Amino acid sequence: MNKVFRDTYYLFIRGFKQSLRPYIALMPEFAVPIFFFVVNSAGFQRVSDLAEFKNYAGNYLEFYAPVALLMAIFFSTGSAGIEVVTDIANGYMDRLFVSPVHRISIVLGKLLATGARSMIQAAIMLAFVMLIGAPFEAGLLGVPILLALAFIFGMAWSGIGLTLAFLTKNPRIVQSSFVFFIPFSFITTSQLPLPLLSGWYKAAVMINPVTYVLEGMRALMLNGVGPETVGTIAVGFLAAALFGLVTLGAALFAFRRLSA
Amino acid sequence: MNEAIRVEALTKKFGTTTAVDGVSFNVPKGEFFGFLGPNGAGKTTTMRMLATLLRPTSGQAWVNGFEISQNPDGVRRSIGFAMQAVTLDPLATAWENLLLLGVLYGLSRKEAHQRGSELLELMQLTKVADSWIKNYSGGMRRRLDLAAVLMHKPEVLFLDEPTEGLDPAGRRVIWEYLKKLNGSGATIFLTTHYMDEADYLCERISIIDKGKLVVTDSPKRLKEKVGGTLDDVFIHYTGHRIQDEGLNPKAADPYTQMNT
Repeated sequence: MNKVFRDTYYLFIRGFKQSLRPYIALMPEFAVPIFFFVVNSAGFQRVSDLAEFKNYAGNYLEFYAPVALLMAIFFSTGSAGIEVVTDIANGYMDRLFVSPVHRISIVLGKLLATGARSMIQAAIMLAFVMLIGAPFEAGLLGVPILLALAFIFGMAWSGIGLTLAFLTKNPRIVQSSFVFFIPFSFITTSQLPLPLLSGWYKAAVMINPVTYVLEGMRALMLNGVGPETVGTIAVGFLAAALFGLVTLGAALFAFRRLSA
Repeated sequence: MNEAIRVEALTKKFGTTTAVDGVSFNVPKGEFFGFLGPNGAGKTTTMRMLATLLRPTSGQAWVNGFEISQNPDGVRRSIGFAMQAVTLDPLATAWENLLLLGVLYGLSRKEAHQRGSELLELMQLTKVADSWIKNYSGGMRRRLDLAAVLMHKPEVLFLDEPTEGLDPAGRRVIWEYLKKLNGSGATIFLTTHYMDEADYLCERISIIDKGKLVVTDSPKRLKEKVGGTLDDVFIHYTGHRIQDEGLNPKAADPYTQMNT
Protein backbone atom coordinates (compact mmCIF):
# COMPACT_ATOMS: atom_id res chain seq x y z
CA MET A 1 0.00 0.00 0.00
CA ASN A 2 2.90 2.29 0.81
CA LYS A 3 4.13 1.93 -2.76
CA VAL A 4 0.71 2.86 -4.12
CA PHE A 5 0.75 6.10 -2.07
CA ARG A 6 4.32 6.86 -3.08
CA ASP A 7 3.71 6.22 -6.78
CA THR A 8 0.44 8.18 -6.65
CA TYR A 9 2.18 11.12 -5.01
CA TYR A 10 4.92 11.33 -7.64
CA LEU A 11 2.48 10.85 -10.51
CA PHE A 12 0.25 13.51 -8.98
CA ILE A 13 3.17 15.97 -9.04
CA ARG A 14 3.93 15.02 -12.63
CA GLY A 15 0.27 15.25 -13.64
CA PHE A 16 -0.11 18.65 -12.01
CA LYS A 17 2.92 20.08 -13.81
CA GLN A 18 1.73 18.50 -17.06
CA SER A 19 -1.68 20.13 -16.70
CA LEU A 20 -0.08 23.57 -16.50
CA ARG A 21 2.16 23.15 -19.54
CA PRO A 22 2.55 24.85 -21.91
CA TYR A 23 1.69 27.87 -19.77
CA ILE A 24 0.27 29.80 -22.72
CA ALA A 25 -2.50 27.17 -23.01
CA LEU A 26 -3.89 28.34 -19.65
CA MET A 27 -5.04 31.64 -21.12
CA PRO A 28 -8.21 30.41 -22.89
CA GLU A 29 -9.19 28.47 -19.78
CA PHE A 30 -9.55 31.78 -17.94
CA ALA A 31 -10.50 33.92 -20.90
CA VAL A 32 -13.65 31.99 -21.85
CA PRO A 33 -15.31 32.01 -18.39
CA ILE A 34 -14.38 35.67 -17.96
CA PHE A 35 -15.87 36.47 -21.35
CA PHE A 36 -19.17 34.75 -20.53
CA PHE A 37 -19.23 36.35 -17.10
CA VAL A 38 -18.66 39.87 -18.36
CA VAL A 39 -20.97 39.57 -21.38
CA ASN A 40 -23.85 37.76 -19.68
CA SER A 41 -23.87 39.82 -16.51
CA ALA A 42 -24.09 42.95 -18.65
CA GLY A 43 -26.48 41.55 -21.27
CA PHE A 44 -29.01 39.99 -18.92
CA GLN A 45 -29.01 42.67 -16.24
CA ARG A 46 -32.70 43.51 -16.79
CA VAL A 47 -33.60 39.98 -15.71
CA SER A 48 -32.96 41.08 -12.15
CA ASP A 49 -36.05 43.33 -12.43
CA LEU A 50 -38.28 40.24 -12.46
CA ALA A 51 -40.03 39.72 -9.16
CA GLU A 52 -39.20 35.98 -9.01
CA PHE A 53 -35.55 36.74 -9.55
CA LYS A 54 -35.23 39.03 -6.55
CA ASN A 55 -35.40 36.05 -4.17
CA TYR A 56 -32.16 34.78 -5.63
CA ALA A 57 -29.77 37.67 -6.10
CA GLY A 58 -29.54 41.42 -6.02
CA ASN A 59 -28.42 41.62 -9.60
CA TYR A 60 -27.53 39.37 -12.53
CA LEU A 61 -23.79 39.67 -11.96
CA GLU A 62 -24.15 38.10 -8.52
CA PHE A 63 -26.41 35.40 -9.90
CA TYR A 64 -24.03 34.56 -12.75
CA ALA A 65 -20.75 34.66 -10.76
CA PRO A 66 -20.92 30.98 -9.67
CA VAL A 67 -21.31 30.02 -13.35
CA ALA A 68 -17.92 31.60 -14.04
CA LEU A 69 -16.41 29.33 -11.37
CA LEU A 70 -18.12 26.29 -12.80
CA MET A 71 -16.91 27.17 -16.30
CA ALA A 72 -13.36 27.58 -15.04
CA ILE A 73 -13.59 24.03 -13.68
CA PHE A 74 -15.04 22.70 -16.94
CA PHE A 75 -12.23 24.26 -18.91
CA SER A 76 -9.42 23.32 -16.55
CA THR A 77 -10.40 19.66 -16.34
CA GLY A 78 -11.39 19.23 -19.97
CA SER A 79 -7.73 18.93 -20.91
CA ALA A 80 -7.14 15.89 -18.68
CA GLY A 81 -8.26 13.53 -21.44
CA ILE A 82 -6.04 15.27 -23.99
CA GLU A 83 -3.05 14.93 -21.68
CA VAL A 84 -3.69 11.22 -21.24
CA VAL A 85 -4.24 10.53 -24.93
CA THR A 86 -1.00 12.38 -25.67
CA ASP A 87 0.78 10.12 -23.17
CA ILE A 88 -0.69 7.09 -24.92
CA ALA A 89 0.16 8.29 -28.42
CA ASN A 90 3.74 9.34 -27.69
CA GLY A 91 4.48 6.11 -25.81
CA TYR A 92 4.84 7.62 -22.34
CA MET A 93 1.98 5.44 -21.08
CA ASP A 94 3.95 2.39 -22.26
CA ARG A 95 6.95 3.73 -20.36
CA LEU A 96 4.78 3.72 -17.23
CA PHE A 97 3.27 0.31 -18.03
CA VAL A 98 6.69 -1.27 -18.39
CA SER A 99 7.74 0.09 -14.99
CA PRO A 100 6.70 -1.54 -11.70
CA VAL A 101 4.38 1.37 -10.91
CA HIS A 102 1.03 0.28 -9.48
CA ARG A 103 -1.55 0.65 -12.26
CA ILE A 104 -4.09 2.37 -10.04
CA SER A 105 -1.51 5.05 -9.19
CA ILE A 106 -1.44 6.14 -12.84
CA VAL A 107 -5.15 6.97 -12.73
CA LEU A 108 -5.20 8.28 -9.15
CA GLY A 109 -2.22 10.56 -9.76
CA LYS A 110 -3.94 12.03 -12.79
CA LEU A 111 -7.25 12.49 -11.00
CA LEU A 112 -5.74 14.16 -7.96
CA ALA A 113 -3.78 16.49 -10.22
CA THR A 114 -6.98 17.34 -12.09
CA GLY A 115 -8.84 17.97 -8.82
CA ALA A 116 -6.04 20.16 -7.50
CA ARG A 117 -6.00 22.16 -10.69
CA SER A 118 -9.78 22.64 -10.47
CA MET A 119 -9.43 24.02 -6.96
CA ILE A 120 -6.76 26.49 -8.01
CA GLN A 121 -8.66 27.56 -11.09
CA ALA A 122 -11.85 28.02 -9.04
CA ALA A 123 -9.95 30.02 -6.40
CA ILE A 124 -8.49 32.35 -9.03
CA MET A 125 -11.89 32.81 -10.65
CA LEU A 126 -13.49 33.44 -7.24
CA ALA A 127 -10.96 36.19 -6.56
CA PHE A 128 -11.70 37.68 -9.98
CA VAL A 129 -15.50 37.73 -9.67
CA MET A 130 -15.26 39.14 -6.16
CA LEU A 131 -13.04 41.89 -7.49
CA ILE A 132 -15.75 42.74 -10.02
CA GLY A 133 -18.36 42.89 -7.29
CA ALA A 134 -19.70 39.38 -6.64
CA PRO A 135 -20.32 38.50 -3.00
CA PHE A 136 -19.05 35.48 -1.10
CA GLU A 137 -21.35 35.20 1.88
CA ALA A 138 -19.82 31.96 3.18
CA GLY A 139 -16.74 33.92 4.27
CA LEU A 140 -13.30 32.47 4.88
CA LEU A 141 -14.63 29.23 6.32
CA GLY A 142 -16.71 28.72 3.22
CA VAL A 143 -13.69 28.87 0.91
CA PRO A 144 -12.45 25.33 1.68
CA ILE A 145 -16.02 24.04 1.24
CA LEU A 146 -16.27 25.66 -2.19
CA LEU A 147 -12.85 24.38 -3.18
CA ALA A 148 -13.69 20.87 -2.00
CA LEU A 149 -16.76 20.95 -4.24
CA ALA A 150 -14.57 22.18 -7.12
CA PHE A 151 -12.10 19.36 -6.39
CA ILE A 152 -14.75 16.62 -6.50
CA PHE A 153 -16.59 18.00 -9.49
CA GLY A 154 -13.33 18.63 -11.37
CA MET A 155 -12.34 14.98 -11.01
CA ALA A 156 -15.84 13.84 -11.90
CA TRP A 157 -15.96 15.94 -15.07
CA SER A 158 -12.50 14.77 -16.18
CA GLY A 159 -13.85 11.20 -16.17
CA ILE A 160 -15.55 11.81 -19.54
CA GLY A 161 -12.33 12.80 -21.30
CA LEU A 162 -10.35 10.07 -19.54
CA THR A 163 -12.83 7.38 -20.56
CA LEU A 164 -12.67 8.45 -24.20
CA ALA A 165 -8.87 8.67 -24.04
CA PHE A 166 -8.49 5.15 -22.65
CA LEU A 167 -11.12 3.69 -24.98
CA THR A 168 -10.24 5.34 -28.28
CA LYS A 169 -6.62 6.54 -27.88
CA ASN A 170 -7.63 9.14 -30.44
CA PRO A 171 -6.89 12.82 -29.74
CA ARG A 172 -9.58 14.09 -32.07
CA ILE A 173 -12.30 12.10 -30.40
CA VAL A 174 -11.09 13.16 -26.96
CA GLN A 175 -10.98 16.78 -28.05
CA SER A 176 -14.51 16.50 -29.37
CA SER A 177 -15.70 15.45 -25.89
CA PHE A 178 -15.83 19.21 -25.37
CA VAL A 179 -19.36 19.01 -26.81
CA PHE A 180 -20.55 17.46 -23.54
CA PHE A 181 -19.79 20.78 -21.91
CA ILE A 182 -22.60 22.48 -23.82
CA PRO A 183 -25.63 20.53 -22.53
CA PHE A 184 -24.19 19.91 -19.10
CA SER A 185 -23.39 23.58 -18.50
CA PHE A 186 -26.24 25.31 -20.34
CA ILE A 187 -29.13 23.05 -19.41
CA THR A 188 -28.82 24.12 -15.81
CA THR A 189 -29.87 27.09 -13.75
CA SER A 190 -26.91 28.97 -15.16
CA GLN A 191 -29.07 31.53 -16.99
CA LEU A 192 -32.19 31.71 -14.84
CA PRO A 193 -33.43 30.42 -11.47
CA LEU A 194 -35.50 27.23 -11.53
CA PRO A 195 -38.93 28.93 -10.91
CA LEU A 196 -38.43 30.97 -14.07
CA LEU A 197 -37.91 27.88 -16.22
CA SER A 198 -40.66 25.76 -17.71
CA GLY A 199 -41.59 22.72 -19.79
CA TRP A 200 -39.12 20.11 -20.98
CA TYR A 201 -36.25 22.48 -20.40
CA LYS A 202 -37.04 22.70 -16.71
CA ALA A 203 -37.34 18.91 -16.51
CA ALA A 204 -33.96 18.50 -18.21
CA VAL A 205 -32.40 21.04 -15.87
CA MET A 206 -33.72 19.11 -12.90
CA ILE A 207 -32.16 15.84 -13.98
CA ASN A 208 -28.81 17.39 -14.82
CA PRO A 209 -26.45 16.76 -11.87
CA VAL A 210 -24.45 19.86 -12.75
CA THR A 211 -27.51 21.96 -11.78
CA TYR A 212 -27.12 20.82 -8.17
CA VAL A 213 -23.37 21.43 -8.16
CA LEU A 214 -24.01 24.94 -9.45
CA GLU A 215 -26.76 25.55 -6.90
CA GLY A 216 -24.39 24.40 -4.13
CA MET A 217 -21.81 26.92 -5.27
CA ARG A 218 -24.43 29.61 -5.64
CA ALA A 219 -25.72 28.97 -2.13
CA LEU A 220 -22.20 29.35 -0.74
CA MET A 221 -21.59 32.55 -2.66
CA LEU A 222 -24.94 34.30 -2.28
CA ASN A 223 -26.31 32.99 1.03
CA GLY A 224 -23.39 31.55 2.98
CA VAL A 225 -23.44 28.46 5.17
CA GLY A 226 -26.53 28.23 7.37
CA PRO A 227 -29.56 26.09 8.16
CA GLU A 228 -31.33 27.23 4.95
CA THR A 229 -28.42 26.46 2.66
CA VAL A 230 -26.77 23.42 4.19
CA GLY A 231 -29.14 21.08 2.36
CA THR A 232 -28.47 22.70 -1.01
CA ILE A 233 -24.72 22.54 -0.42
CA ALA A 234 -24.89 18.89 0.67
CA VAL A 235 -26.93 17.99 -2.41
CA GLY A 236 -24.28 19.75 -4.53
CA PHE A 237 -21.61 17.50 -3.05
CA LEU A 238 -23.80 14.43 -3.48
CA ALA A 239 -24.52 15.27 -7.14
CA ALA A 240 -20.79 15.80 -7.85
CA ALA A 241 -19.96 12.51 -6.13
CA LEU A 242 -22.64 10.52 -7.97
CA PHE A 243 -21.64 12.07 -11.29
CA GLY A 244 -18.06 11.10 -10.50
CA LEU A 245 -19.10 7.57 -9.60
CA VAL A 246 -20.45 7.13 -13.13
CA THR A 247 -17.73 8.94 -15.10
CA LEU A 248 -14.78 7.65 -13.09
CA GLY A 249 -16.23 4.16 -12.99
CA ALA A 250 -16.29 4.24 -16.78
CA ALA A 251 -12.75 5.65 -16.88
CA LEU A 252 -11.43 2.90 -14.61
CA PHE A 253 -13.17 0.24 -16.68
CA ALA A 254 -11.62 1.65 -19.86
CA PHE A 255 -8.22 1.92 -18.20
CA ARG A 256 -8.31 -1.73 -17.13
CA ARG A 257 -8.89 -2.72 -20.76
CA LEU A 258 -5.98 -0.57 -21.87
CA SER A 259 -3.53 -1.81 -19.25
CA ALA A 260 -4.53 -5.48 -19.33
CA MET B 1 18.75 -20.43 -13.38
CA ASN B 2 21.61 -19.36 -15.60
CA GLU B 3 19.33 -17.94 -18.26
CA ALA B 4 18.35 -14.31 -18.29
CA ILE B 5 15.70 -14.98 -20.95
CA ARG B 6 14.03 -18.26 -21.79
CA VAL B 7 11.38 -18.37 -24.49
CA GLU B 8 9.28 -21.44 -25.30
CA ALA B 9 6.95 -21.58 -28.31
CA LEU B 10 5.96 -17.94 -27.91
CA THR B 11 3.15 -16.96 -30.27
CA LYS B 12 1.27 -13.73 -30.86
CA LYS B 13 -1.68 -13.36 -33.18
CA PHE B 14 -3.44 -10.14 -34.13
CA GLY B 15 -6.73 -11.28 -35.61
CA THR B 16 -5.80 -13.57 -38.47
CA THR B 17 -2.20 -12.34 -38.65
CA THR B 18 0.43 -14.36 -36.78
CA ALA B 19 3.11 -11.85 -35.86
CA VAL B 20 5.23 -14.26 -33.81
CA ASP B 21 4.93 -17.95 -34.56
CA GLY B 22 6.12 -20.41 -31.91
CA VAL B 23 9.48 -18.79 -31.26
CA SER B 24 11.89 -20.49 -28.79
CA PHE B 25 15.36 -19.39 -27.67
CA ASN B 26 17.49 -18.82 -24.58
CA VAL B 27 19.76 -15.95 -23.63
CA PRO B 28 22.29 -16.75 -20.89
CA LYS B 29 22.92 -14.18 -18.17
CA GLY B 30 25.45 -11.56 -19.19
CA GLU B 31 25.14 -12.18 -22.92
CA PHE B 32 24.89 -9.43 -25.53
CA PHE B 33 22.23 -10.93 -27.77
CA GLY B 34 21.09 -9.57 -31.12
CA PHE B 35 17.58 -10.18 -32.44
CA LEU B 36 17.56 -9.29 -36.12
CA GLY B 37 15.03 -9.44 -38.88
CA PRO B 38 13.36 -7.46 -41.65
CA ASN B 39 10.69 -4.87 -40.93
CA GLY B 40 7.54 -6.59 -39.74
CA ALA B 41 9.32 -9.87 -38.95
CA GLY B 42 8.11 -9.91 -35.33
CA LYS B 43 11.09 -8.44 -33.46
CA THR B 44 9.25 -5.65 -31.70
CA THR B 45 6.22 -7.85 -30.95
CA THR B 46 8.50 -10.44 -29.33
CA MET B 47 10.23 -7.75 -27.33
CA ARG B 48 6.96 -6.18 -26.19
CA MET B 49 5.76 -9.58 -25.00
CA LEU B 50 8.97 -10.14 -23.07
CA ALA B 51 8.66 -6.68 -21.53
CA THR B 52 5.03 -7.47 -20.45
CA LEU B 53 3.47 -4.85 -22.72
CA LEU B 54 1.70 -7.48 -24.81
CA ARG B 55 0.08 -10.72 -23.69
CA PRO B 56 1.20 -13.76 -25.69
CA THR B 57 -1.50 -15.72 -27.50
CA SER B 58 0.29 -18.90 -26.44
CA GLY B 59 3.67 -20.11 -25.23
CA GLN B 60 5.72 -19.09 -22.24
CA ALA B 61 8.72 -16.94 -21.46
CA TRP B 62 10.82 -16.19 -18.39
CA VAL B 63 12.86 -13.07 -17.84
CA ASN B 64 15.22 -13.18 -14.87
CA GLY B 65 13.32 -16.24 -13.71
CA PHE B 66 9.93 -14.48 -13.72
CA GLU B 67 7.29 -15.87 -16.05
CA ILE B 68 5.98 -12.95 -18.10
CA SER B 69 2.27 -13.71 -17.66
CA GLN B 70 2.41 -15.07 -14.11
CA ASN B 71 4.72 -12.49 -12.57
CA PRO B 72 4.82 -9.37 -14.77
CA ASP B 73 5.82 -7.14 -11.85
CA GLY B 74 8.92 -9.25 -11.23
CA VAL B 75 9.83 -8.86 -14.89
CA ARG B 76 9.20 -5.10 -14.83
CA ARG B 77 11.39 -4.51 -11.78
CA SER B 78 14.37 -6.20 -13.35
CA ILE B 79 14.30 -4.94 -16.94
CA GLY B 80 14.86 -1.75 -18.84
CA PHE B 81 13.16 -1.29 -22.20
CA ALA B 82 14.25 1.34 -24.72
CA MET B 83 11.41 1.27 -27.20
CA GLN B 84 11.56 1.99 -30.90
CA ALA B 85 10.21 5.50 -30.41
CA VAL B 86 11.44 7.82 -27.69
CA THR B 87 8.96 7.53 -24.82
CA LEU B 88 9.54 10.53 -22.62
CA ASP B 89 7.35 13.35 -21.38
CA PRO B 90 8.03 16.13 -23.92
CA LEU B 91 6.71 18.83 -21.62
CA ALA B 92 9.07 17.96 -18.80
CA THR B 93 12.77 18.59 -18.39
CA ALA B 94 15.39 15.87 -18.60
CA TRP B 95 15.76 16.06 -14.82
CA GLU B 96 12.04 15.69 -14.23
CA ASN B 97 11.84 12.70 -16.57
CA LEU B 98 14.76 10.91 -14.95
CA LEU B 99 13.84 11.66 -11.34
CA LEU B 100 10.26 10.50 -11.79
CA LEU B 101 11.29 7.21 -13.37
CA GLY B 102 13.93 6.71 -10.70
CA VAL B 103 11.48 7.04 -7.82
CA LEU B 104 8.86 4.92 -9.60
CA TYR B 105 11.47 2.15 -9.75
CA GLY B 106 11.96 2.47 -6.00
CA LEU B 107 15.02 4.71 -5.75
CA SER B 108 15.04 7.38 -3.05
CA ARG B 109 15.05 10.97 -4.30
CA LYS B 110 18.71 11.23 -3.33
CA GLU B 111 19.62 8.05 -5.18
CA ALA B 112 17.59 9.12 -8.21
CA HIS B 113 19.32 12.49 -8.21
CA GLN B 114 22.76 10.90 -8.03
CA ARG B 115 22.00 8.32 -10.71
CA GLY B 116 20.36 10.91 -12.96
CA SER B 117 23.37 13.14 -12.64
CA GLU B 118 25.74 10.31 -13.65
CA LEU B 119 23.64 9.39 -16.66
CA LEU B 120 23.18 12.96 -17.87
CA GLU B 121 26.94 13.38 -17.69
CA LEU B 122 27.48 10.13 -19.56
CA MET B 123 24.99 11.07 -22.29
CA GLN B 124 26.48 14.57 -22.46
CA LEU B 125 23.18 16.21 -21.60
CA THR B 126 24.09 17.95 -18.33
CA LYS B 127 24.01 21.42 -19.89
CA VAL B 128 20.46 21.01 -21.16
CA ALA B 129 19.12 19.03 -18.19
CA ASP B 130 16.73 21.80 -17.15
CA SER B 131 15.22 22.38 -20.59
CA TRP B 132 11.95 20.89 -21.75
CA ILE B 133 12.81 17.95 -23.94
CA LYS B 134 10.37 18.98 -26.65
CA ASN B 135 13.15 21.41 -27.55
CA TYR B 136 15.77 18.63 -27.87
CA SER B 137 17.09 17.31 -31.17
CA GLY B 138 16.24 13.73 -32.15
CA GLY B 139 19.67 12.52 -31.07
CA MET B 140 19.44 14.22 -27.68
CA ARG B 141 16.02 12.69 -27.08
CA ARG B 142 17.32 9.25 -27.99
CA ARG B 143 20.27 9.56 -25.59
CA LEU B 144 18.00 10.77 -22.81
CA ASP B 145 15.57 7.91 -23.48
CA LEU B 146 18.41 5.46 -22.97
CA ALA B 147 19.43 7.25 -19.78
CA ALA B 148 15.84 6.91 -18.52
CA VAL B 149 15.90 3.17 -19.18
CA LEU B 150 19.14 2.80 -17.24
CA MET B 151 18.03 4.74 -14.15
CA HIS B 152 17.35 1.64 -12.03
CA LYS B 153 20.37 -0.36 -13.25
CA PRO B 154 18.31 -3.13 -14.88
CA GLU B 155 19.71 -6.66 -15.01
CA VAL B 156 18.24 -7.23 -18.46
CA LEU B 157 18.09 -4.48 -21.02
CA PHE B 158 15.79 -4.63 -24.05
CA LEU B 159 16.85 -2.21 -26.76
CA ASP B 160 14.64 -1.79 -29.80
CA GLU B 161 16.77 -0.03 -32.42
CA PRO B 162 18.39 2.19 -29.79
CA THR B 163 20.72 4.09 -32.11
CA GLU B 164 18.14 4.84 -34.79
CA GLY B 165 18.54 8.47 -35.81
CA LEU B 166 21.83 9.04 -34.00
CA ASP B 167 24.88 10.47 -35.73
CA PRO B 168 28.10 8.38 -35.76
CA ALA B 169 29.48 10.12 -32.67
CA GLY B 170 26.24 9.56 -30.77
CA ARG B 171 26.17 5.91 -31.80
CA ARG B 172 29.75 5.46 -30.66
CA VAL B 173 28.93 6.92 -27.20
CA ILE B 174 26.02 4.49 -26.86
CA TRP B 175 28.02 1.50 -28.13
CA GLU B 176 30.85 2.06 -25.70
CA TYR B 177 28.46 2.47 -22.81
CA LEU B 178 26.53 -0.67 -23.73
CA LYS B 179 29.77 -2.64 -23.97
CA LYS B 180 30.74 -1.39 -20.52
CA LEU B 181 27.31 -2.19 -19.12
CA ASN B 182 27.43 -5.68 -20.59
CA GLY B 183 30.95 -6.09 -19.17
CA SER B 184 29.58 -5.36 -15.73
CA GLY B 185 27.14 -8.28 -16.02
CA ALA B 186 23.98 -6.87 -17.62
CA THR B 187 22.24 -9.00 -20.22
CA ILE B 188 21.41 -7.03 -23.34
CA PHE B 189 18.76 -7.98 -25.89
CA LEU B 190 19.16 -5.78 -28.94
CA THR B 191 17.26 -5.33 -32.17
CA THR B 192 18.81 -3.21 -34.87
CA HIS B 193 18.84 -2.73 -38.61
CA TYR B 194 22.51 -1.71 -38.50
CA MET B 195 24.49 -4.87 -39.19
CA ASP B 196 27.77 -3.19 -38.21
CA GLU B 197 26.19 -2.49 -34.82
CA ALA B 198 25.12 -6.11 -34.36
CA ASP B 199 28.52 -7.32 -35.54
CA TYR B 200 30.39 -5.03 -33.15
CA LEU B 201 28.23 -5.57 -30.08
CA CYS B 202 26.59 -8.99 -30.14
CA GLU B 203 28.04 -12.31 -28.98
CA ARG B 204 25.19 -14.22 -30.63
CA ILE B 205 22.39 -13.24 -32.93
CA SER B 206 19.07 -14.75 -33.90
CA ILE B 207 17.37 -13.90 -37.16
CA ILE B 208 13.58 -13.90 -37.23
CA ASP B 209 11.60 -13.83 -40.46
CA LYS B 210 7.81 -13.85 -40.90
CA GLY B 211 7.40 -14.58 -37.20
CA LYS B 212 9.67 -17.65 -37.19
CA LEU B 213 13.22 -17.97 -35.93
CA VAL B 214 15.46 -19.01 -38.82
CA VAL B 215 18.96 -19.14 -37.36
CA THR B 216 20.91 -18.48 -34.15
CA ASP B 217 24.71 -18.32 -33.89
CA SER B 218 27.64 -15.99 -33.33
CA PRO B 219 28.17 -13.30 -35.98
CA LYS B 220 31.61 -14.77 -36.68
CA ARG B 221 30.33 -18.30 -37.38
CA LEU B 222 27.41 -17.03 -39.45
CA LYS B 223 29.72 -14.95 -41.61
CA GLU B 224 31.99 -17.96 -42.10
CA LYS B 225 29.02 -20.15 -42.96
CA VAL B 226 27.58 -17.77 -45.56
CA GLY B 227 30.89 -16.30 -46.67
CA GLY B 228 30.54 -12.53 -46.50
CA THR B 229 29.53 -9.70 -44.22
CA LEU B 230 26.70 -9.75 -41.72
CA ASP B 231 24.64 -7.90 -44.34
CA ASP B 232 25.14 -10.92 -46.60
CA VAL B 233 24.11 -13.24 -43.78
CA PHE B 234 20.97 -11.23 -43.20
CA ILE B 235 19.99 -11.28 -46.88
CA HIS B 236 20.90 -14.95 -47.17
CA TYR B 237 18.46 -15.95 -44.43
CA THR B 238 15.66 -13.49 -45.08
CA GLY B 239 15.65 -13.19 -48.87
CA HIS B 240 16.35 -10.22 -51.12
CA ARG B 241 12.90 -8.75 -51.49
CA ILE B 242 11.28 -6.26 -49.21
CA GLN B 243 9.01 -8.24 -46.92
CA ASP B 244 5.29 -7.71 -46.70
CA GLU B 245 4.94 -5.86 -43.45
CA GLY B 246 1.95 -6.37 -41.19
CA LEU B 247 -0.33 -3.46 -40.44
CA ASN B 248 -0.48 -2.02 -36.96
CA PRO B 249 -4.17 -1.92 -36.09
CA LYS B 250 -3.41 0.05 -32.93
CA ALA B 251 -1.42 2.84 -34.55
CA ALA B 252 -2.13 6.30 -33.17
CA ASP B 253 -4.08 8.88 -35.14
CA PRO B 254 -1.56 10.88 -37.23
CA TYR B 255 -3.17 14.02 -35.79
CA THR B 256 -1.39 13.17 -32.56
CA GLN B 257 1.86 14.33 -34.07
CA MET B 258 0.52 17.85 -34.06
CA ASN B 259 0.10 17.76 -30.31
CA THR B 260 3.53 16.47 -29.36
